[in-house]
Amino acid sequence: MTLLEIADLQVSFSTRRQTVYAVNGISYDVEPGETLGIVGESGCGKSVSSLAILGILARNGRVTGGSARFEGRDLLEMPDSQLRRIRGRDMAMVFQDPMTSLNPVLTVGRQLTEVLRRHLDVDRKAARSEAQALLERVGIPNAGDRLSDYPHQFSGGMRQRVMIAMAIACKPKVLIADEPTTALDVTIQAQILELLRDLVRSEDMALVLITHDLGVVAGICDRTHVMYAGRFVETAPTDELFAQPRHPYTFGLLRSVPRLDAGRAQRLEPITGAPRDLTERPTGCAFAPRCAYATQASWDELPILRPVEGSGPSGGAGRRAHLVACHNPVPQADLTAAGIGRGRQGNA
Amino acid sequence: MSIAEAQAAELAVEQPSGLLKDALVRLRRNPGAILGMVLIGAFVLLAIFAPLVAPYGPAERVGGLATNPPGPTSEFWFGLDDQGRDLFSRIVYGARLSLLIGVVSVAVGLTFGMSLGALAGYFGGRIDTVVMRSMDIMLAFPGFLLAIGLVTVLGRGLGQIMIAVGITNVPVFARLLRGTILGQRESDYILAARSVGTPGPRILFRHLLPNSVAPVIVQATLACATAIIDVAGLSFLGLGPSDPGLPEWGRILADNAGRLNQSIHLVIFPGFAIVLSVLGLNLIGDGLREAIDPKLRS
Repeated sequence: MTLLEIADLQVSFSTRRQTVYAVNGISYDVEPGETLGIVGESGCGKSVSSLAILGILARNGRVTGGSARFEGRDLLEMPDSQLRRIRGRDMAMVFQDPMTSLNPVLTVGRQLTEVLRRHLDVDRKAARSEAQALLERVGIPNAGDRLSDYPHQFSGGMRQRVMIAMAIACKPKVLIADEPTTALDVTIQAQILELLRDLVRSEDMALVLITHDLGVVAGICDRTHVMYAGRFVETAPTDELFAQPRHPYTFGLLRSVPRLDAGRAQRLEPITGAPRDLTERPTGCAFAPRCAYATQASWDELPILRPVEGSGPSGGAGRRAHLVACHNPVPQADLTAAGIGRGRQGNA
Repeated sequence: MSIAEAQAAELAVEQPSGLLKDALVRLRRNPGAILGMVLIGAFVLLAIFAPLVAPYGPAERVGGLATNPPGPTSEFWFGLDDQGRDLFSRIVYGARLSLLIGVVSVAVGLTFGMSLGALAGYFGGRIDTVVMRSMDIMLAFPGFLLAIGLVTVLGRGLGQIMIAVGITNVPVFARLLRGTILGQRESDYILAARSVGTPGPRILFRHLLPNSVAPVIVQATLACATAIIDVAGLSFLGLGPSDPGLPEWGRILADNAGRLNQSIHLVIFPGFAIVLSVLGLNLIGDGLREAIDPKLRS
C-alpha cells in the first residue's frame, strides 16, 4: 500500500466576485524514506495543495475533486475529528516563516508538549523530557533550559529547528516541508536541509519538500515535480530532470538560475511574462503565453503528462519515469546549446 | 553563538519570563504610569482601610443641620455637609463605592463583550454579522444616553446602575476583541497549531485569546475610569443610587451643586476625588498601551 497517494487533486478558492482555480488536478505518491520535491514559482498552488491534504485550507478554499489517500484512507472524505488525529501524529508540516509560525505567548516547551500530549499517551513530565530530547535531536544547544524560553528569544534558524521538532514530535510518517529554508540565511539553509535529510534517513520518514529553489531540490530530492498554474508540467527523478529537462518551463527555470561556472558577461535568461491568472480555466497549455516553443496545438489542447520519448533508460515506467506535459518538448540541441546536458547537474 | 542568540541571551538575563513581564518592566519605566499607579494604589488603600482612615462613619452626624455648612477645620479636614456629616469620612468611604463601580461594571462589560467578540471573530460568517450589527446598533446611541435609558428600565439600585454602565461597554470590548482575533486568525502560528491537530476550542482559548487580549486590557483600564465618571454623571442627573445615605462622589457633588457660592468645599473635594481617580486610571491605561503595543507590532 502506498503511504501517501494523491490523485487528481483539485482546489479552488471562491471570493465574492470570482473563483481562483489554484490546484487543477495533481497526482503523486510517496513511499517511506523517499524525498519528493515540488518546485514552482509563487502562487502556482504548491503550498495550497499540501494545506488541502491536511484539511487546513483557509475558509474560502475548497477541494473540488480528487483524492488524497494516506495508508489507503481518503483524507478528504474523513470527518475532521479523525483528520485531527492524523495531523501532527502521522502527517506533519513545517512552514515557511519560522518567525511567525510559533505562538508568541507560549514557551517553546509548552508548544512542544502540547503536541506530544495531544497525540501520545504521556504525562506532563514524560512530555517535557521528550520535548527536551526533541530539541536536542534538532540540534538546539542547552535544550533543557531553552524549553522555558519564548519564541522571541530564538534566532530564525533556531525557530525553524523548533518548528521541525514540533512537526516530528510524534514521529510522523509523512513530513511536508513548505519552503522550510526560504526565510533563512544560506548557511543556515544548508544545516536545516541536512537535518531534514538526516531525519528521513534515520526515521524512514517520507518527505515532501515544497520549494521554489532548484538548488534545494537538487540537494535532497529523489524525485521532483515541476508545478505550473496548478498542474504538474514535468516529473522525473531529480538527476534526470536537471540533466534532461524537457518542458520549456523547467528549461526556463534552469536557465534563469545564476551559475558559478558561467562567464560574468553571460546574461541570465529570465522567463518572460507573468504567471497565469488563475481565475479562469485555460483551454490549452497554461504556459503557452510565455513559451518560445508554443504552437497552435499548445493553445487549443491541454497537454497531459506523458512519458518522455527516447530519453534512454529513464524513459521507462515506475519510479524512474520521466513524464512531461508538453506538445513541443525542448529539443536536445537547445539543451546542449544552453549548456545543460547529461552529467552536469544544476547544483545552484 | 550567533548575534541573535547573544541578544536573546541578553534579553533572557534581563527579563526572564515572557511578554507580560516585559510589559511590566516597560510600565515601570513610564513616569505617567507610575503616578497613575500611586494614585490608584492610594485609593485602593483608602477603600480597604476606610474604617481606620475615616474618623467618622459615612452617615454619622457630627454637626447640626446647616444651610451653609462650615468649611475645612483642623477637626473636620474637608468640612461638614448640610446634614452635619464629616465630608472627609464620606469621601474616604466613597472610594469603596467608586472602585466597586469601576470594577463591577467593567467586569460586566468584559464578560459579555469578550464572549460576543470572540464568537464573532472566531466563527465569522453569519454569527459575525448578527453579533456585530447588534453591537453597531448599541454604538449608535451615545454611551451615556444608553446608560440613562438602561437605568430607567432596570431601576435605580446600585447593582442595576453598574450593570447599565457595564452594558454600554459591551460593544466597545466586543469590537476590539473581534478585530484583534480577526487579525490573528489567519496568522501562521494558528495554521501551525491546526497542522498538528489542535482542536478548535483549544485554538480559540489557548492560542487566539492570549494573543488578542492585550488591547482589551488597556481598554478595560480606561473603561474603568469612564464607568466612574458615568456613574458620577448619572448621580449628578439624579439617576444615581436611590439610597441617599450612599457616599457616592457624584451624588455628593450633585446634592451640593446649589451651594457652590456658600460652601464650595462640598463641591471641590468630591470633584477632586473623581478627577484624581479617573486621572490615575487613565495614566495606567495609557502606560499599559505603550508597554504592550510595541510587542504586538513586532
